[in-house]
Amino acid sequence: MGFNLQLLFTGIGVGSIYALVALGFVLIYRATNVVNFAQGDFAMLGAFSMVVLAIDFGLPYWLSIILTLAALAAFGAIFNLAVYYPLRNRSFLPVIISTIGASILLENGVLAAYGPRPQSLPTVFSGQGITIGSVFLDSQYLLIIGVAAAMVAFQFLLFERTFIGKKLQAVSQDKEMASLLGISVGTMIMVTFIYSATLGGLAGVLVAPILFVSVGMGSSIALKAFAASIIGGFGEVTGAIIGGLILGVIETFGAAYISVPYKDAFAFLGLFIVLLFRPQGLLGERVAEKA
Amino acid sequence: MLRNAFGMVVSLAAIALTAVGAAAHAADPIKIGMVAPSTGPVAESGKFQTEGAMLAVDEINKAGGVLGRQLQLVIEDDQSTNPGVILAFSKVAGDKDIVAFLGPIRSTQVHAMAPDVLKVAKPVLIGGTDPSLTHMGNPWLFRFRPNDSYSARVIADFGVNTLGKKKWAVVHATDAFGTAGMTSLVASLKSMGVEPVLVQGYTSNSQDFTPVVLAVKQSGADILGTYMTNEPDQGIFAKQLQQLGVKPAWVGSPTTVTTTALKLAGAALYGSYAVVDFNRDSSPAAKEFAAKYEAAYKTTPDIFGSWAYDAVHVLALAIANGKSLEPEKVRQAILAVQGYQGAEGVYNFDKNGDGLHGYNIVKNNDGTIVFEKHIDFKD
Repeated sequence: MGFNLQLLFTGIGVGSIYALVALGFVLIYRATNVVNFAQGDFAMLGAFSMVVLAIDFGLPYWLSIILTLAALAAFGAIFNLAVYYPLRNRSFLPVIISTIGASILLENGVLAAYGPRPQSLPTVFSGQGITIGSVFLDSQYLLIIGVAAAMVAFQFLLFERTFIGKKLQAVSQDKEMASLLGISVGTMIMVTFIYSATLGGLAGVLVAPILFVSVGMGSSIALKAFAASIIGGFGEVTGAIIGGLILGVIETFGAAYISVPYKDAFAFLGLFIVLLFRPQGLLGERVAEKA
Repeated sequence: MLRNAFGMVVSLAAIALTAVGAAAHAADPIKIGMVAPSTGPVAESGKFQTEGAMLAVDEINKAGGVLGRQLQLVIEDDQSTNPGVILAFSKVAGDKDIVAFLGPIRSTQVHAMAPDVLKVAKPVLIGGTDPSLTHMGNPWLFRFRPNDSYSARVIADFGVNTLGKKKWAVVHATDAFGTAGMTSLVASLKSMGVEPVLVQGYTSNSQDFTPVVLAVKQSGADILGTYMTNEPDQGIFAKQLQQLGVKPAWVGSPTTVTTTALKLAGAALYGSYAVVDFNRDSSPAAKEFAAKYEAAYKTTPDIFGSWAYDAVHVLALAIANGKSLEPEKVRQAILAVQGYQGAEGVYNFDKNGDGLHGYNIVKNNDGTIVFEKHIDFKD
C-alpha cells in the first residue's frame, strides 16, 4: 500500500511539473494558433536567473523569485517582438520554425554565457518534506502541486470571468472579427506572451531544486508537457493539467511495475493510444471539416 | 608611404625569421602533436588537458630536453566532436616532423580517429577508457588511464573484500558507458561468487528515480554499485535514496566524485565511495604533480590534466630509452616502460598498450574527498 501511495504521490508531483509547462503551451496556442517550441526554455531561463540572483549575487530567495518573474515577463515581450511579431501574417509553419530557432539560440546562448556544468539551487523550504506512514512527501513537490492547482484556478477565472480573458479568447477564436470589434489583437497577443513566459519562468524556479539547473532541462520537460497538452486536448487549460497528471502517473507506475528503462516509452504510448482513439484529446471538442 | 613602411617591416621580419630558422636548425625541437577540445561543450576539460601536457613539456625542456633537443607541442582544436577530432588529427598528422600524438580522453572520439591512426602509423597516446580501444588490433594506441574493466573489478573487490558486503544492487545508465560498466561489474561480482540481488538500468535525464529507489529498497541490498553517466541523474537519485530512507553502502564510478556531482548532490552523497584514476593523495608522484600544477596554473588539477602530463613524460622517457624518433622504435620503447611512477599511478605497459591496471578508491567524507586505498591487478 505504502509502495503504491509513494508512486502515486511522485506521479502527481512529476505530472504537475509537466502540467505547469503545458499551460504555457496552451495559452500561446490559443492566442496565436502556433506551438511555441521555446516554452521549455522559458523554464530554463527562469532557473538560471534564480542561480544568478540567489547564488551568484546572494540576493534573498523571495526577492530573486520576484526579479526572475519580472525578467521573464520582460523577456516574453521581447520574444513576442523578435520571434512572433515579424511573422504574424504568415502561416503557422514559419512561426513554429522561428520558435525552434529561438530555442536553439537560447540554449546555446546560456551555454556560452554560463558553461556546461549543471548548477544546484536550494529548495524554498528548509525541511526536505514530511513522512506520513511509509510515504514520504517531498516539500518541493507539495509546493509544485499547490502552485499548479492555483494556476489552473487563476487561469480559469482569467479566461472565463474577466473582460481581458474574454478579449483573449475572442482573439484566439477569430482575429479579424476581434479587431473589427475594437479589440487590439497585437496587445492581446503581447499579453499572452508576457504571461506565458512568466508562467514558464515560474515552472523553472519551482523545478530547479529538484531537477537541477542545466541548459537542456527545459527541452526534456517540454517534450513531455507537449505530449500532456495533446492528451488533454490541445488548447484546453483543464486538459493540459489532466494530461500532465495522467502522464506523470502512467510513467511512474509503468517504471515501477514493468520497466524503468522504458519509462519514457509508457508516456508516449499513452499519447499514442489517445491519438488513436480520441484524436481531439480527452477534453478537446471534435473539429469537423466544414463542407 | 605607409605601404612602403609596412613592406619594410614584413621583409625585416622575414629576414629575422630566416635567421632564427637557420640558427635553430642545429637542434630542431622534437614535435609532439596534440588534439584537444578548445571549443564546444567540453572545452573546459581541453584546457586541463593541454595545461597538463604543457607542464610536462616545460619540465623536460628545462632539464635539457630529450636526446639534446627541446620538445614542442603542436595543438589542434577537436571542437569536442567526432568529426572535429578527425579533422584536427589530419591537420597535425600532415606535419611529417611530428613524432607522436596526444589523443582524446573520450573513447568515442578515439574510435572515430582510430582508422586514421592506423594509416599514419605513429604512436597516439590516449585517455579514453573503453576497454576495446587497446584490444582491436590497433598497435599505435597507448592508454594512460586505467580502462573500465579495472574500475568494475576495483568496485567489486573493495565492496566484497574490504567492506564485506554480499547483497549487491547494481544501478546503471542504459547508454554505452553505463551498460559496459554494469556488464563488467556483474561479471566481476560473479567471479567472486556474488550474484547481485538487483540489476537496474535507467535512461539518462530521468526526472525522477522513485521507482529505482523503491526497487533497491525491496531488493534488501546492503551495497550499491553504480555506473551513472550524468551528474544531475546521480544527484536526483542520491537525494531520493536519502528521502525514502534507503541507506546501503555505495561504491560508484568516477562520476560519483566529480566536482559537479559533489555540488549537486551535496549531503546526499556523504559517506559514499568511488573509484578514480587520479587522486593527489594516492602517491608521492601524484602529490608532486598536483603541487606543480597549482603553482603553474593557480587551479586544482583533475583527471583531465594528470594523464596528459604522464603521457608526455612517458613518451620522453621512451624516446630517450630507444634513442630514436622512428615510430616503430618509439612504439617498442613505450611498450617496454615498466615501473614508471606517474601522477595517475605506476605504469607497467602490457602488450595491448595499457599502462595502468588499477584504480584508487576514495571516500566522500562529508564533502571532502579522502584517499582510501589503491587496488592494482597483475593481469
